[in-house]
Amino acid sequence: MLFSVALFLIAPILLLIPRPAKQSDPWSNLPTRPIHTNHADLIKGEFADGSAVTRRCLECHEDAAVQIMKTSHWTWESEPVSIMGHPKPVILGKKNAINNFCIGITSNWPPCTACHAGYGWADNSFDFGNHENVDCLVCHDGSGQYVKGNAGYPAEGVDLVAAARSVKIATRDNCGGCHFRGGGGDAVKHGDLDGSLYFPSERIDVHMGKHNFICTDCHVTRNHDIKGRSISVSFHAQNQVYCTDCHDKNLHADERITAHVSTVACQTCHIPEAALKEATKMHWDWSAAGQDLPEDTHEYLKIKGRFVYAKNIQPEYFWYNGSATHYILGDKIDPDEPTMLNPPNGDINDRNARIFPFKVHTAKQIFDAQYNYLLVPKTYGKGGFWTEFDWNQAAKLGSADTGLPYSGHFGFVSTVMFWPITHMVATKEKALQCIDCHSDTQKSRMDWTALGYDGDPMFRGGRKTSKL
Amino acid sequence: MKRYNLLFPVLLGAILFAQCLFAQPQSMHPAFPLLDGNGKNVLQSAQPVSTMLTCGNCHDTRYIESHSGHVAFGLFPLNTQDSTASPQHWNRTLYNLLTMNMKNPATGSVANQLMSYGARHVGGGMAVYSSTGQRLDNIPAQTDNPETSYWDMNAGQIAAWNWRESGVVEMNCFICHIPVIDNQARQAELAAGRFAWANTATLARAGIVNKTAVGFAYNKTSFLADGSVDPDKIRISDPGNDNCGSCHGIVHNAATDILISPGCNAAQWATETTGQIISPQKIAVSGMNLVNKNDLTRSWDIHAERLVECVDCHHSANNPAYYQESASSKPQHLNFDARKMSIQEYLYRPSHQFVRGQSWQLSTSTQTANTMRRCESCHNAESTHAWLPYKNRHFNALACESCHIPKLYSPTRRLVDWTVINDHGQPRTECRSIDGKFGSLSTPIYGYEPVLLGRIEPDGRQRLAPYNIISLWYWVHGAPEQPVTLAMLQQVYYPNGSPANNVLASLDANQNGALDDDELCLDTPAKIDLVANKLAALGLNSPRIKSVLAPFAIHHNVAGREWVTRNCESCHSNQSLITRPFLLANNYPHNVQPDLITTGILDMNGSLQSQEGGLVFKPSARAAGFYILGHDRVNGVQIAGAALFILVLLGISAHGLLRYIASRKLLKTKEKTKQVYMYTAYERIWHWLQALAIIGLIFTGLIIHSPSVFGVLSFSYAIYLHNVLALILLVNAFLSAFYHFASGKIKMFLPEPEGFFSQAIDQMLYYLSGIFKGAPHPFEKTHDKKLNPLQKLTYLVILNILLPVQIITGILIWGAQHWPTIAAKLGGLLFLVPFHSLVAWFFAAFLILHIYLTTTGHTATSSIKAMISGWEEIKKS
Repeated sequence: MLFSVALFLIAPILLLIPRPAKQSDPWSNLPTRPIHTNHADLIKGEFADGSAVTRRCLECHEDAAVQIMKTSHWTWESEPVSIMGHPKPVILGKKNAINNFCIGITSNWPPCTACHAGYGWADNSFDFGNHENVDCLVCHDGSGQYVKGNAGYPAEGVDLVAAARSVKIATRDNCGGCHFRGGGGDAVKHGDLDGSLYFPSERIDVHMGKHNFICTDCHVTRNHDIKGRSISVSFHAQNQVYCTDCHDKNLHADERITAHVSTVACQTCHIPEAALKEATKMHWDWSAAGQDLPEDTHEYLKIKGRFVYAKNIQPEYFWYNGSATHYILGDKIDPDEPTMLNPPNGDINDRNARIFPFKVHTAKQIFDAQYNYLLVPKTYGKGGFWTEFDWNQAAKLGSADTGLPYSGHFGFVSTVMFWPITHMVATKEKALQCIDCHSDTQKSRMDWTALGYDGDPMFRGGRKTSKL
Repeated sequence: MKRYNLLFPVLLGAILFAQCLFAQPQSMHPAFPLLDGNGKNVLQSAQPVSTMLTCGNCHDTRYIESHSGHVAFGLFPLNTQDSTASPQHWNRTLYNLLTMNMKNPATGSVANQLMSYGARHVGGGMAVYSSTGQRLDNIPAQTDNPETSYWDMNAGQIAAWNWRESGVVEMNCFICHIPVIDNQARQAELAAGRFAWANTATLARAGIVNKTAVGFAYNKTSFLADGSVDPDKIRISDPGNDNCGSCHGIVHNAATDILISPGCNAAQWATETTGQIISPQKIAVSGMNLVNKNDLTRSWDIHAERLVECVDCHHSANNPAYYQESASSKPQHLNFDARKMSIQEYLYRPSHQFVRGQSWQLSTSTQTANTMRRCESCHNAESTHAWLPYKNRHFNALACESCHIPKLYSPTRRLVDWTVINDHGQPRTECRSIDGKFGSLSTPIYGYEPVLLGRIEPDGRQRLAPYNIISLWYWVHGAPEQPVTLAMLQQVYYPNGSPANNVLASLDANQNGALDDDELCLDTPAKIDLVANKLAALGLNSPRIKSVLAPFAIHHNVAGREWVTRNCESCHSNQSLITRPFLLANNYPHNVQPDLITTGILDMNGSLQSQEGGLVFKPSARAAGFYILGHDRVNGVQIAGAALFILVLLGISAHGLLRYIASRKLLKTKEKTKQVYMYTAYERIWHWLQALAIIGLIFTGLIIHSPSVFGVLSFSYAIYLHNVLALILLVNAFLSAFYHFASGKIKMFLPEPEGFFSQAIDQMLYYLSGIFKGAPHPFEKTHDKKLNPLQKLTYLVILNILLPVQIITGILIWGAQHWPTIAAKLGGLLFLVPFHSLVAWFFAAFLILHIYLTTTGHTATSSIKAMISGWEEIKKS
């Protein structure tokens, strides 16, 4: 009886004690990094070339090559996608995509494939099935002196033994060796990926700076399948990385901010600017190339043409549902209008689309003036533009490799490319404020009418409310 | 490429839009010509713009001018009454007494006022009309009329002012209604006495006029072919924050430009007097040299951050979008009156009386007091304060600003000492928030916490609200007292331009031949006498120093979320921020004490104290009628209660000791005992439950009383537990009372009428002497008669008086939240809590006495064992 009395009295007290609400911890969603195994004593002997190292790796890591060969780091292709206007499903990838930087790798393989995760892709005849062509060291080298040269071979003077002994999981320096240097140099291409991310401060990127994340903490990798893709070389968003992989979708304490989450991408508010330390290329005029003018890597080079670089760039904002419409080799263009090479899909009525920040890169590049499609010129190698400065010949030689007929008449058209900004995330205190987008006295980052709104949604209602 | 068709125009448009220059929103205001004072287009006459005639073509400018607090500011008759506002009023902060007119030194010449302080006035009113209602340029100029004369600094005498030549300052529409204003050019024209051109100069930055060597020339490219101003250049609009900031304080709207300002600057009134800065920017991003700036990730002002503009709260009184009928005239049956003034009517006659709160210093527009919405008109405090215990109690005692404006981060004025002036004719000042010389961008800024003063709010309640207090010190003379003019002070301190010798010698402590800032203080009687004598020598009757405290209410720079004062112990502890001392002055004239402020709505409850040379105000919440649990205590109650407790403790210690000593001497005889079933299960349960509850209540009560000393649990948790235990006590006591009454057992508590007193005395004698001698208990305990007379008496008092009183006062203290009027009628917390504390001391004393007395059974532990098992060992009689 005493017990029941006690229970009767104590139970209400215990029930009424307030308990703090449980919040999901983003740290709990991080992948565990594998424990490092020191290979210094395991690897012995000399290595004649990169493939010899690969053979040694495969002695223990038997499946590694097979796994790599299934991924886009090896194939430089995505899965086939049915595209309207094309009879067969289209396979798009770095192998055959056109961009408005160096344009295309076809006919120019050696310098481009220096960033291929393999050895020897010097031309069309590269054997994608040969396990020994896989380059293990580019991602796993820990010695810091492993550099790749043309066609992906290790550069002159690289100590393969030291590299092989030093292997570890890929860290920022491994990934950055290629991904920071796209487009011909550090910081040229992406805007949000450059050498400042090797040892970033908190100001540059909160994950890589403040918390020293390595790439695979977000680009989770299982059996060499690395999560993540870019609309520069893909149509769709399969196997994509999302902020919500770690972060709670509803983590903002403020109701007003929470109301933005279904319309505005995380990146929009949390990456106010890109190219924080190094200027990035914003415009590339190929048509000016070939002249004997004073040279400067940020202004003009004879082999490449005239550029515009900018630092601390404010992104431009478009609806984006994760997929893009890509220009495919041979598609007809309108030479009087700028050609969008990879416009992001999505609009105000698309439930899956969010307003997303992009670096917009414009260029003037070569096209076939008669057939009205873009051309891939040969720039590198015998007969290429970089040696002969002859566009006609470059177009002819390039077209021979791409298989596109060349009419003999070339010209230059404006093209536009969209590069999603998703790195260089600022600390939460530096996120965009209300006044950055919703002000009528200052330059707003958003062009409301262009985005499909009637006006500032603060006063007219967002896309979910009925049209006012 | 068919897929692209929809995307093309949108994206292309987006690209082009984004890449072209930002197109400012077009103003809807129609194009209009600028007219001069004669009604002619200024392009022909090259005369200054007359805003009354230009804007008066479409808007009723006469109405606007006569319905504007900004204009009326200055029209009040000159006097020396309390006001730190209008330039026409005697303003102790600015010391705008420029004339040498001995007969009526409080009168400042209008021309002088406009030249010195006209920048703070929008024009119209006193800048156009005399006190008799005539235009100033129609009155014949006379040197003895302050409205048509001025003090010529160079000549050192009063001269006539030619209003025809200088022109008057009409109400300046441009300064509020154009986004790009040139306030500097306007101020330059005012300072030079070219009043007519002041309004025109405002247009210089917009490119409508250009400053030339001889004046201003109209820029033809800013005009259309038909002679009207290009609407895209002038862009008439409603006032933005920047417009208000041109006079009222620092406003920094830009998202990206960093804010840098030294603060404590007379040109930015609101910031100078309170430290408020209106900016959406995060403090951590600003350029101010703030200590620990990186941690200050809040915005300066959360309303500015959330894009609430000045005019959203301080709107025109008859703005149809915001207008609401006052509650007193609104009929009962209406929630909302849908009838609104048409926009056309409003634009023709917009009232420029802006709704406002009840800030003390703005005494010009009395009819607009309390017309503005308060916080609760927009914010739903009920839903967002679910975490706050005793919400209503807090809302009734504290203004929203008390917790939501915890700290200001800009330097602001603390003291203005006009008793001594430097060689520029400026007073010595002290600034809050900084430690050192103000005006230098490298001075570290600490920020300051405002003082909380009791203010009577519109609903009649007195609430604590944050203020800055500026102490003002100045010389007065004569009876009725009048302030000493600046010219007099200059004659005393700097006759003929250089410092007077004996004054210099007296003040120059470090003997460097010049007066440094910290030497400019009359901090000894000798210094005061020296200056007083010199003033008397100038003909002033009994010169003396007067000091006044000027409070400035703080309503802006609200912080959000984690920056708000949320910790209970911030107020409910020893170091309560409600009674935190507030520094008024570091150095001040010797022995002069300012009066505490008492006005209609604001009372400074507390005392002035001198601490290490500085003058400090120590607020007293108790004097304001608040009793703060955990902070306040009544010393009398503490002393009385503690004394009683200690007395009892000593008594039982002595008694016990004596018993112990006595027992050793006594013969240990084996007595025959029997086990009697004394206490039923229920009696034991209710006893122990009561005991635990009381012990718990005393324990948590101690924590509530002094959370700083007994902070084992947090303050709010201690209160929560205290309430739970109190409820258990109440239910337990009630059930027990019911049981005793229903079963008839109540009889054992009632004293038997016969022989009660003699038995009581017997019992007392037993305790005082018999117990030491081993005498038998005078009272035989049975199951039905358990209580001896003394016990009956004690429990009578405890159970019928002390316990009910404690419960009732406790309920009323808790009830201050739900039934504030009932609690207030019975004295409020000020009475209830000390009383509750006193009875708590009684209970504590009873507790130890009771526990001790249980040892007086057959053996020391027999009584306690009985209360546990029910069976007591009683001597067989």
